[in-house]
Amino acid sequence: MNLKISALEFVQQVQNGNISAEDFVAKTLERIQSIDDKLHAFLFVNEKAIDQARDIDKKIKSGSKVGACFGMPISIKDNMCIKDSKTTCASKMLENFVAPYDATVITKLKEQDAVFVGKVNLDEFAMGLTTEFSAFGSSKNPWNTEYVPGGSSGGSAVSVSAFECVASLGSDTGGSVRNPASFCSVVGYKPTYGLISRYGLISYSNSIEQIGPLTRTVKDTAFMLNIISGLDPNDNTTIDNKNEDYLSGIDSGIEGKKIGIIQEMVGEGTDPTVLSATKDAISKLENLGATCEDVSLDMVKYSVAAYYTIAATEAGSNLARYDNLRYGYDFSVEGYEFNSYIAKARRNFGPEVKRRMIIGGFVPSAGHAGKYFLKAIKVKSKLTREINEAFKKFDLLIAPTVPILPFKIGEKINDPVSLFLIDINTVTANLTGKPSISVPFTISNGLPIGIQLLADSMNDKLLLQAAYALEQTITLQEVPI
Amino acid sequence: MVTEEQIEHVSKLMKIDIDDHKEYVDKVQTMIDYFDVLDSADVESEEISMQEITISNLREDKYVPFNEKLIDKLNNYKGTYVRAPKMS
Repeated sequence: MNLKISALEFVQQVQNGNISAEDFVAKTLERIQSIDDKLHAFLFVNEKAIDQARDIDKKIKSGSKVGACFGMPISIKDNMCIKDSKTTCASKMLENFVAPYDATVITKLKEQDAVFVGKVNLDEFAMGLTTEFSAFGSSKNPWNTEYVPGGSSGGSAVSVSAFECVASLGSDTGGSVRNPASFCSVVGYKPTYGLISRYGLISYSNSIEQIGPLTRTVKDTAFMLNIISGLDPNDNTTIDNKNEDYLSGIDSGIEGKKIGIIQEMVGEGTDPTVLSATKDAISKLENLGATCEDVSLDMVKYSVAAYYTIAATEAGSNLARYDNLRYGYDFSVEGYEFNSYIAKARRNFGPEVKRRMIIGGFVPSAGHAGKYFLKAIKVKSKLTREINEAFKKFDLLIAPTVPILPFKIGEKINDPVSLFLIDINTVTANLTGKPSISVPFTISNGLPIGIQLLADSMNDKLLLQAAYALEQTITLQEVPI
Repeated sequence: MVTEEQIEHVSKLMKIDIDDHKEYVDKVQTMIDYFDVLDSADVESEEISMQEITISNLREDKYVPFNEKLIDKLNNYKGTYVRAPKMS
């Protein structure tokens, strides 16, 4: 059985009776069993997945109504709640936490008969961009297992890239879907802020983070978006997309579209190989009838500092809830004074989470708030104005997803600023709420390079059309695992 | 300059028990030094944009019974109360 098919091919083959959901899920679990020791994408595998797929096959055979996923095996980043399943955020702090409810995205996928094959690895509480900060060990890049897969949704990207599932859900706070998608050569999508409900996503930085799909093809991303987007009464930041069909007209092309090349994202610090790939992508888009011109977003220079200031501040507040009383690992309250008990429980946070919490306590504190937090908020505001101006002239913007190639595990772990700067091309979409996609574009010396496209808010459909057009110009080699 | 005393103070505020405050000084200082780039952003006159949500657009604030005994999922509880350590 060929596991290397897209989500839409899977649906078609199950619908046509060429394959059964049970067989496909069983083979998928066999593959996880055989290769995940090398990759460590999965934290937990769903032992009931085959039974669930069998039930869907029965529905198909009996002629009952079947959801759009037809038993499609999907992996879920372990910071989203699946009822009665462990949800650890890759943290010792939540090692034994069992979610009492489903996240809205999970409810929607269950309604469409998706099968969750397991929960996948991430940097602890999604704080990182390599998965090296997972309390349960780093994931490995399937293109070269000595290299990081990107992060924080590294497990999601690895599982899709290595054919351990058909699609995955990740979360993107500063690039955490697009960065690993680029490093592992899969499609990664950060929607317009509010397009997908965050209810049941364990919060890191509420004002900028979004759930997003990671898939093998752009069409699969559109398919997933059709299922998981839309208003949710449990998340007041969601917006009404009028049940937009992102798949219809995806092949409309980009003839006549104007594309801005973000100068601050292709300058100093961009690896020459990545720069060359970006120029190649721009040529291909021009050959398809688009017009590409330079555009400057001056605030991009300050975006990484603004992003980390805002994210750390919100994280400091969000992580206050982990006190071992409502969530957290178990030890008795007997013999402890309140503050010392909570401080002891919170020792289970890993070093990167502690560092970010200290930053999150420092930058908004009395005497420092004006210098850091207030300025960061103002940079966010000015950057939003700048990008809104750019979208008056351009339909789309383009840049490399990540300015450098994947790097070796351990290579940058002790250099926080060097790690910060890897986010420079991705945080703009988060700070401004714009939709953004990473399209796998080429492989250089065995390592993937992704190209990022951005569109104006609620222009997700146009963005997917452009990404699809770019995708059709390339043929990628297969992952060597 | 970030000092050990500041790290100790902030870690207390964030309720994180840290053995060696010195260990955090250099890394936090490096991060804070990088954030100083915000000084050159020229945003003093920038107004902060906010998105308002009117109360009428919020979900109705009503009691929704949970379909299971949520409290059973907690580790330390007595009756219908969460057990917490005593306040000093």
